[in-house]
Amino acid sequence: MGDVFVLAEHRRGEMREITFEMLTKAQEIASAIGGETVAVLIGSSVDTFAERLAAYCDKVLYIDDPLFADYNSDKYQIVLGKLIQDYKPELLMVGHTTQGVDMAPALAVELNLPFVTDVVDIIIDNGKLKPVRQYYSGKVNALFNFKGEPPYLITVREASFEAADGSKQGQIQKIDFPLKEDLDYRRFVEYVEAEVGDVDITQSEILVAVGRGLKEEKNLSIAEELAKAINADLCGSRAATDAGWLPHDRQVGTSGKTVKPKLYIALGISGAFQHLAGIKGAKTIVAINKDPEAPIFNEADYGIVDDLFKVVPKLTEKIKELKG
Amino acid sequence: MKIFVCIKRVPDTSEAEVKIDATGKDVDSSKFSFDINDADNYAVEEAILIKEAKGGKVKIVSLGDQESDLMIRMALAKGGDSAIRVEDPRINVKDPLKVAKVLAAAIKQEEFDLVLTGCMASDDGQMAVGVALAEELGVPHAAMVKKVEVEEGKVRAYRELEGGLSEVVEITLPAVLTIQTGINEPRYAPIRGVRAAQKKELKVLTLDDLKLDEKEVNEESSLVELEKLFVPEVVSRAEIIEGEPEEKAEILANKLLKGGIL
Amino acid sequence: MNTELQSFIQKYDLLGCVQCGRCTGGCPVTVRTNLNVRRIVYDSINESMLEDLAKLPEIWDCTTCNTCAVRCPKGLKPVEVLIGLRNIMVESGIIQPTVRDALESVFREGNPWNKPKARRSDWMEGLEVKIAEPGKKVENLIFVCCTIAYDPKVQVIAKNLVKVLNKAGVDYGFIGDDEVCCGSEVYAMGELGEEGLFEMLVEDNTELFNSYEAERIVAISPHCYSVFKNQYPDLKAEVIHYTQLLKELLADNKLELKKELSQKIVFHDPCYLGKQNNIFDEPRYILSQIPGVELVEFDRSRERSLCCEGGGGKMWVESESRKERLAEIRVKDADELGATLLAVACPFCVLTFDDAIKAKGLEEKMRVAEITEILGEAVE
Repeated sequence: MGDVFVLAEHRRGEMREITFEMLTKAQEIASAIGGETVAVLIGSSVDTFAERLAAYCDKVLYIDDPLFADYNSDKYQIVLGKLIQDYKPELLMVGHTTQGVDMAPALAVELNLPFVTDVVDIIIDNGKLKPVRQYYSGKVNALFNFKGEPPYLITVREASFEAADGSKQGQIQKIDFPLKEDLDYRRFVEYVEAEVGDVDITQSEILVAVGRGLKEEKNLSIAEELAKAINADLCGSRAATDAGWLPHDRQVGTSGKTVKPKLYIALGISGAFQHLAGIKGAKTIVAINKDPEAPIFNEADYGIVDDLFKVVPKLTEKIKELKG
Repeated sequence: MKIFVCIKRVPDTSEAEVKIDATGKDVDSSKFSFDINDADNYAVEEAILIKEAKGGKVKIVSLGDQESDLMIRMALAKGGDSAIRVEDPRINVKDPLKVAKVLAAAIKQEEFDLVLTGCMASDDGQMAVGVALAEELGVPHAAMVKKVEVEEGKVRAYRELEGGLSEVVEITLPAVLTIQTGINEPRYAPIRGVRAAQKKELKVLTLDDLKLDEKEVNEESSLVELEKLFVPEVVSRAEIIEGEPEEKAEILANKLLKGGIL
Repeated sequence: MNTELQSFIQKYDLLGCVQCGRCTGGCPVTVRTNLNVRRIVYDSINESMLEDLAKLPEIWDCTTCNTCAVRCPKGLKPVEVLIGLRNIMVESGIIQPTVRDALESVFREGNPWNKPKARRSDWMEGLEVKIAEPGKKVENLIFVCCTIAYDPKVQVIAKNLVKVLNKAGVDYGFIGDDEVCCGSEVYAMGELGEEGLFEMLVEDNTELFNSYEAERIVAISPHCYSVFKNQYPDLKAEVIHYTQLLKELLADNKLELKKELSQKIVFHDPCYLGKQNNIFDEPRYILSQIPGVELVEFDRSRERSLCCEGGGGKMWVESESRKERLAEIRVKDADELGATLLAVACPFCVLTFDDAIKAKGLEEKMRVAEITEILGEAVE
């Protein structure tokens, strides 16, 4: 009892960062409640992952079998269900990712576990774990108590915790698992890469938007450079598409597209009501505009009041530097 | 195909100020506008597209009060055939696992081939109901589906993963799919059709009708409890980055890359 | 289906068209888009083509300015044919997402801007605004308009009107959060016909307005004014535009304009005020009463006024055309006249011209202002 389990997440030969973020937090929790940190690794011939994980935990429970070559929520659910019953951890942390959300709610129902999703913080109050999650797109935080008995299950939002460097030397333990053959009701078929071709800005994760402040078409390269550095798509205000700098299907606003990127960087856009209506689904908005009174600053999370021609090239340069 | 679609009425808080009310456990929603949850709207459209291609019936299911009827009628006007609305004050509607249990009870009353839900509700962002519902129903599922191909006795679901990648899975029917926004372009429900949809069946059911014991789904039965709501430290106006142009650029680059935004 | 299509011909009297082309000849958007009104009226006679016709993107380029109807020698209304074609798309449910969202928003929240109904009178905050009460007498029941109520850029119109009305000591009342979209743009986007959204708005608003003991309904936007005046048959109260009220106040000396405004003003006739409802003189009268003002005229003024492309659903539909916007042509004309102030009496005109002035880099030389704003300055 008292152990904190973390489900290691990996895909196509790569560990996902969320794993280390969770393990870092798990160590803090485990030491506070007097337990061990345990990484659960499910895969096929992923010994190197097991070794990397060992640096972040006391123990790696490693299931190694070709049955787990590709992620399958139902298989994971079966394995984790058995592990929970055998090991009775205090807490199981799963990423609030496309893998985690496809599996954790079903596991919670199956084992009747106290369950909190999309956790952004965990407060340890007198030895009790209190997860924090958000409502209304982050406008309100909610502090929860687990009422039932452990094991507790949570899904953890990416980038909520910072991953430290791993300095432990955990033990790697290969374990048996309850699944002996493939499932007939859910089968992994293949991965499909996003189609290249026409950009649909309503689906873009990162957008660099340009407005009248860009002044001329030849200045578009400044925005393009930035977009390239952060893997963003370009879009614009009505002024930008009107001027022909961008095609009409890149226009954001009430007469254009409604976008919902994780990051929206508005360059030289003042933020007319009709434009702002199109970006209200954006998670983080950055505005660079020389007019301090521009309405965009009321909607933005970060603002730079300055000449975009001075700031943006530097920004691109710094981002490239930091990305190495 | 008999398709169920689960929908939820949610407040639009994207540009509204959210204030915590006197109980400390809820918010003041008097200034919000409400609408069908975005992802659920795509789920409705997908169900109707499947019905149009393969034949069958679409049944709308929702857990909520009478205010939800407008949204349900709009879904019926688009091509839904009938609807169930579960309303019972004893249900802990804030616990996604309880919601899933109630929805499952409503769906289980009939035969079904496919159940669609939105992959996430914009108010609580749980992303849990659909997958929990599949477990309650004892059928396979796929979450965050961006493309569906219905075949004989099975579906191919394209799950949208991080970074533009899709994972294709094949699952047998009956099944639950949680639908990602952008899978289609939801149609408009002409108001004439919404008015005509008044004639379609909309059953309002309680826990008793569903033969569910209140002890299974009430607040007491939840294994987690909300201690309090609090407002995170955010500035409503942008955090203005100061300094020389180069400094500003550097600070911003750091915030974007190290703050987990990029 | 067949009877419905036949009624399309009858409804718009398509067989009465002599294909003279005066509609297309006068249509302001033909200079920048593919819209050919004459051609569409002609093609609409072929029943089997209607649905394909309705899918043409240029159907949505029409700004419903009404020039075609004004020019038609046979008294037909080609603009209504275009709206009828839009209706075919609306009824099919397959319309641009932007139009879909605007219409759904009107249905749910009573405004096309996806804003909460409960925030409709947020603009009143900090102002002394009189709210009318149903059943009680009020001389002037003021109707604000969705765009003015929610768009911070044009909220000043209502704010200034309040200031002017308070100064003049007029008996007035606003409706408040119960105010619901007038339906003008809903109609223009084709959500009409029996049991449609437009009809619903007309019924609901008529009931709402008639619940007040109002002598007159004063609309701020010409779009609301026009629809109340012409498409609400059962209103008890008289409908006027606010420029008519203000002219009255000035003529009766209830309003004193003290502050000198040394500006060269050119007035742009909004389509829904001028060519659709023949209100040309009131705005000019008001402006002429302001001390220091020099009033000049566009070459294309009054009935011939060039549409700003703000109406007819154009707030939600973008034309494919890259050619110069009509509003840009208009501000260039204003600049050539040496005008320092482009006066309008419509919220859409404010938005389109404000954009056009920036697009043409004329910010230093002129600004656009609604008449209420100008008066607001002058009554100080």
